[in-house]
Amino acid sequence: MSATWLLARRGLARNRVRLLVSVGGVALALSLTLALDAIYAGVANQLTTYIDRSGADVWVSQPGVRNLHMVASWLPDSVIGQVRAVDGVAEAAPILYSTDTITAGDESTVAYVIGTRADAPMGGPSEVVDGSGRVGPGEVIIDRGFARKAGVTLGDVVTVLGGEAVIVGLSEGTASLVNSVAFVSFDDFREMRAGAPVVSFVLVRTAEGASPDGVAAGIERLVAGVTAQSRATFAAGERRLVTDMSAEIISIMDVIGFVVGLAVVALTVYIATLARRREYGVLKALGARNRVLYRIVLAQAVLSVALGFIAGLAFTGLLAFLVARTDLNLELAITAASLVKVGLLAAVIAGLAAILPIRQVAELDPAIVFRRGVVT
Amino acid sequence: MLLLARRNLVRDRTRFLLSVLGVAVSIGLILLLAGYRSGVYRQSSAYLDNTSGSVVVAERGIRDFLGTSSVLPPNAFDAVTSTPGVARAIPVVAQFVIFERHDRKDGFFLIGYDPAAGGGPWKLVDGREPVADDELVIDRTTARQHDIVIGDQVTLLDRDATVVGLSEETTFWAGSIAFARITTLESLARAPGLRSFLLVTPGAGVSPEAVRDRLAVPGTEVLLKSDLIANDRKLMARVYDAPIGLMVAIAFVVGVLVVGLVIYTATIERRREYGTIKALGARNRMLYRVVTTQAFIAAAAGAVAGVVLGYGAGAVLTAVRPQFRVDIEPATVALVLVAGLAMAVAAALIPARSLARVEPAEVFRG
Repeated sequence: MSATWLLARRGLARNRVRLLVSVGGVALALSLTLALDAIYAGVANQLTTYIDRSGADVWVSQPGVRNLHMVASWLPDSVIGQVRAVDGVAEAAPILYSTDTITAGDESTVAYVIGTRADAPMGGPSEVVDGSGRVGPGEVIIDRGFARKAGVTLGDVVTVLGGEAVIVGLSEGTASLVNSVAFVSFDDFREMRAGAPVVSFVLVRTAEGASPDGVAAGIERLVAGVTAQSRATFAAGERRLVTDMSAEIISIMDVIGFVVGLAVVALTVYIATLARRREYGVLKALGARNRVLYRIVLAQAVLSVALGFIAGLAFTGLLAFLVARTDLNLELAITAASLVKVGLLAAVIAGLAAILPIRQVAELDPAIVFRRGVVT
Repeated sequence: MLLLARRNLVRDRTRFLLSVLGVAVSIGLILLLAGYRSGVYRQSSAYLDNTSGSVVVAERGIRDFLGTSSVLPPNAFDAVTSTPGVARAIPVVAQFVIFERHDRKDGFFLIGYDPAAGGGPWKLVDGREPVADDELVIDRTTARQHDIVIGDQVTLLDRDATVVGLSEETTFWAGSIAFARITTLESLARAPGLRSFLLVTPGAGVSPEAVRDRLAVPGTEVLLKSDLIANDRKLMARVYDAPIGLMVAIAFVVGVLVVGLVIYTATIERRREYGTIKALGARNRMLYRVVTTQAFIAAAAGAVAGVVLGYGAGAVLTAVRPQFRVDIEPATVALVLVAGLAMAVAAALIPARSLARVEPAEVFRG
């Protein structure tokens, strides 16, 4: 086998043009595929950050509400006390929630607007990078990415829920592609709702040793008119829904890029092998068995894919590094699944594309190889 | 000369076809993704595009239609309709709701409307409009996807609603538009008297701008419908353009580079033949011309095939998934063609230059 690799490597390295075609083509194609995959995976990852970091083990909502994105959930105030009384509940805190547009200057963004009490043990901003983590009346905490884009900072005014609020804190790590997150005071939010004694969700922290699913079931059994779900279930529902709705638009592009990338891999490997047909003819004339021929072209295809894969990975890594340094609220996630999928399929496609042009040579009688017109 | 270039190309049909295919795939990719991107933003305004009225009244501070929870002050409708110059105002409640069917969730932009005032489905293809509470008109594609037929129940938050009609042109990628009576939404939101927007039609001879300037109801925002549509598209673009725009940019760069690579290879592989031309006494100028003409022919054939491929793939995508529209704009086609052809010619000239430097006699060596 080592002779095969040697021949394969030499065949590629001897001629820079061929190297460029097969490796360059594969590298371009795999850069496209891996980068698009990473963008998609990054977007999908961000979708449940608020739920993941809320600190709640169980989410209690209006019956039928099984996720957060763009829903409306209203529960009577009295539910909080009833939830607290359920076995296994250590703490329960209400939040008010609405999807709304927040505006600062000429910039606006869709945001989950969360009304929390200043002393709430959960549901507030998980990572405040500047200013305060507590919101009082007339105050708001917004996402740093949006603040930067809008050119506002602590002390500036934004429009939220139809009123104005002063920025007292900047948070990070809660916004996703689809929306930003803003925190306002519970009382402001309620005033906006004309003071109706309702809350949106009751967030529950379970007692030590209690299973979130068990506590959720207990809440549904003992408190009338609510849906209760563990954080894992709630986040899974959210991910499924938002992936269906918003990430699908990106997954379609990902799929298109994947198909085209594979087509380009096939095409470039095919062209490169075709150009080398003459040499395989010579090998054959020298008495090489067909098996050896196939092995050499396959080895070359694998080498091309391997080198192209490294280049594609380097490109994607660089892109992820650069994107993280911009104000784009975007994260590129290079996942093992994507690497395996892209690498394996590219290798298979490249192998097929390499064997195709060589089959003709393999079928030849060694003696007629040199006749013109057969191998050019 | 053109003859020479053409003959040389056509003689080796396989190679020529491979080059054309390479260019076509790259151009097709760029066009498809760019068209997809513009289609995505256009689709967001289907409801406003198809509902009458040219001025929209929303809650103060709200400048978008989609994704907002606008709540108008209770007196807004009377205040607006009594303003001189207003011919009619359609009250609607817009809310995003999640419905569930066979354990699969989907999002609706639920529009609550009053059938007497308008603002309902503009293309009802089956069934009837909702006449009672908890009756729904949903999009036909969405219905098909969820195996829903007229008379079926879907779960809407804490209640079941009956599908009584199917509409068309009401689906887009973020969900689909569904219609119910305004009272259904009031009770879903537990807010009697709730109104989100008023779609205002000016009286005869009154311009939308005049009506906008005249409407001064406290607690409201008054916008031209066209501005609201533009805001919605911009909002969508701002939300989604980081990944989508980045993907289109990557596709553009990779696609153009693949075009260059394909043409570069094709030229290099024909080096021997160009050498022959040179050995026969052709001047370098002639050589360049043959090389660029050939590159141009291959790239142009590929580009034409690529445009066909892009439009074709777009049509297939829209047929399979009607919630995604592909709008390939002529300006994009022009840009991609220019970039692709320029790349092709440049890629052909690089190897040609090294050939031009070769002495005719050396050509046949090695």
